[in-house]
Amino acid sequence: MLRAVRRKTRHRLVFSLVILVLYFAYLFNYLPSGEFLAQRLGTSWITGSLAMFAGLIVMFILLELVFLCLDSDDEPDAKGSRLGH
Amino acid sequence: MVTSHTYMRVPALFSLLLWPDDSFAVGSIDSVVERQALNPTAITMFLVFVAVTLAISYWASRKTRSSKDFYTAGGGISGLQNGTAIAGDFMSAASFLGITGLVFLGGFDGLVLALGAFAAWPLMLFLLAKRVRNLGSITFVDVVSQRLERNPIRVVTVTGTIVVVILYLIAQMVGAGKLIELLFGLPYQVAVILVSVLVLTYVTFGGMLATTWVQIIKALLLIFGATVAAFLVMKEADFSINILLQGAAENHPRGEAILGSGVLFRDPVQIATIMVSMMFGTLGLPHILMRLFTVPNMREARKSVFYASLFMGYFYLVIIILGFGTIYLLYGKPEYFGSDGGLLGGNNMAAIHLSNAVGGSLLTGFMSAVSFATILAVVAGLTVSGAAAISHDIYAEVICKGNPDARTELALTRITTLGIGVIAIVLGIMFENENVAFIATMPMVVAASVNFPILFLSLFWPGLTTRGAIAGGVVGLVSSVVLIVVGPQVWVSVLGYEQALFPYDYPALFTLPLALAFTWFFSVSDRSARSIIDRRNYHDLLLRSEYGAKGKSLEVHL
Repeated sequence: MLRAVRRKTRHRLVFSLVILVLYFAYLFNYLPSGEFLAQRLGTSWITGSLAMFAGLIVMFILLELVFLCLDSDDEPDAKGSRLGH
Repeated sequence: MVTSHTYMRVPALFSLLLWPDDSFAVGSIDSVVERQALNPTAITMFLVFVAVTLAISYWASRKTRSSKDFYTAGGGISGLQNGTAIAGDFMSAASFLGITGLVFLGGFDGLVLALGAFAAWPLMLFLLAKRVRNLGSITFVDVVSQRLERNPIRVVTVTGTIVVVILYLIAQMVGAGKLIELLFGLPYQVAVILVSVLVLTYVTFGGMLATTWVQIIKALLLIFGATVAAFLVMKEADFSINILLQGAAENHPRGEAILGSGVLFRDPVQIATIMVSMMFGTLGLPHILMRLFTVPNMREARKSVFYASLFMGYFYLVIIILGFGTIYLLYGKPEYFGSDGGLLGGNNMAAIHLSNAVGGSLLTGFMSAVSFATILAVVAGLTVSGAAAISHDIYAEVICKGNPDARTELALTRITTLGIGVIAIVLGIMFENENVAFIATMPMVVAASVNFPILFLSLFWPGLTTRGAIAGGVVGLVSSVVLIVVGPQVWVSVLGYEQALFPYDYPALFTLPLALAFTWFFSVSDRSARSIIDRRNYHDLLLRSEYGAKGKSLEVHL
């Protein structure tokens, strides 16, 4: 059981790390190395910056979905998880 | 219309727009509030909203029998309902009016606020939702006090909670007064009293149940209104995002630059301070964490965070259309601009003007009413949280040592609620003409520097001790206040000095690591008898934090 908890904790921290890396990648928009993000994508008027903003939101939701799928195994039933307040 | 001094005004404007609630409206304080003519459509719609929510409060009052019912709606809210209510706290007037106004002003740069408000939610799901729900009962203070020495850690965390709630409340009330004056043409004092009386009615009688339903209704109305407005904007652009962005770039004085970064913000450290404050501040907001206890179990708690993310993600994507829609459809139309070249009512009114441009007075009235409703919902949530901090965390858990008389506690809860309402009115009126930009900043920075590190480390670090948590919490609180005071918002804007001693408005980038460092140092160097218990408690509570009551029974067998 403790091993399962440690595995779940690792999952939590890895997913969180991915979110933090993606989130702070947004800073590239404000760094010289991220100047390419201000360019338009092909012939469209959508820039890399705007695509990044929308992409991050979608990516975060997908990561939450994956996390929920991975974390739903070996869970006690909902009734058993009630806490006596 | 975006003049050379626009860039200089951005920090102040931004500070008022930062929060995922309604405190943006205090931005009006720095500018002259141009009271609008009475809008009959808006007033009618708002009265309908008030009637419905008062009926809900009456229904909820019949179901609120105990203090637990009052604080957590008896744990009977479903994940979807709770997720919608959480989203209601975030998809607020600040999001709709504030962020749209910032995009109107500077394009892409305004969106950083939306990302900051949104990005905390995956972390809420991964790190906090389950463990907080499994270990706590009413507030997040319950969680940390199970692991650490009860009384001292409660005092520190409740102090953090009260600081956050009171400052939030001031910003809300001042913002509410100004916004309602702007949208409805009501006098400031009347608006402040009206908000307080309505919120007190919801909360005193219906507790968290009524508050939750007010937030749900408001969230759905806001999503509906924003969707309709976005649809109408896209219709104007022939349903082409390219036409929308091209039109916006052609209309805005900064041209194509608005499609990338650098119009409002250029300093990456400044952006980092914003991002850290938004993300970790959200994770430490007591009235948000409290919502995790309104659902029956941890599964519903996790679901509620996911649903909240879905709603907010959708909303912030819609904000792109609305924001650039304001540039596309408002620039070049003199009826929306004053003689000074600025937008009528200020940039916060961009979304309202857009509603008028695409949906006429009906949509304008609807969105104005929803903006008012959103203030009620957020203030109601804060009031419940403040009441819980005093009557549950202090009275029931510290003074009565966890065994309060149930009737006395419920009575005290309602009295506390009334007290908070009166304080809100008094402070709202007192601060009417003050520059309260810093008050809008502090709650998020304090939540990020005091509440979040203590909560996170108590859940994930076996080495945390009471001494370390208190040292880190105190340093986080003091450093947050000091750096905000010597920063531009107080040192320059309030005290009138020429240059700030600390260059950034939002010091969480520095105060959070400082709090973590002090917590670590005082924990690892702690050799007291209590430190042994604190460290052992982590392992004792580990299974329960992951599996709830089942984990508790498993502990016996290990």
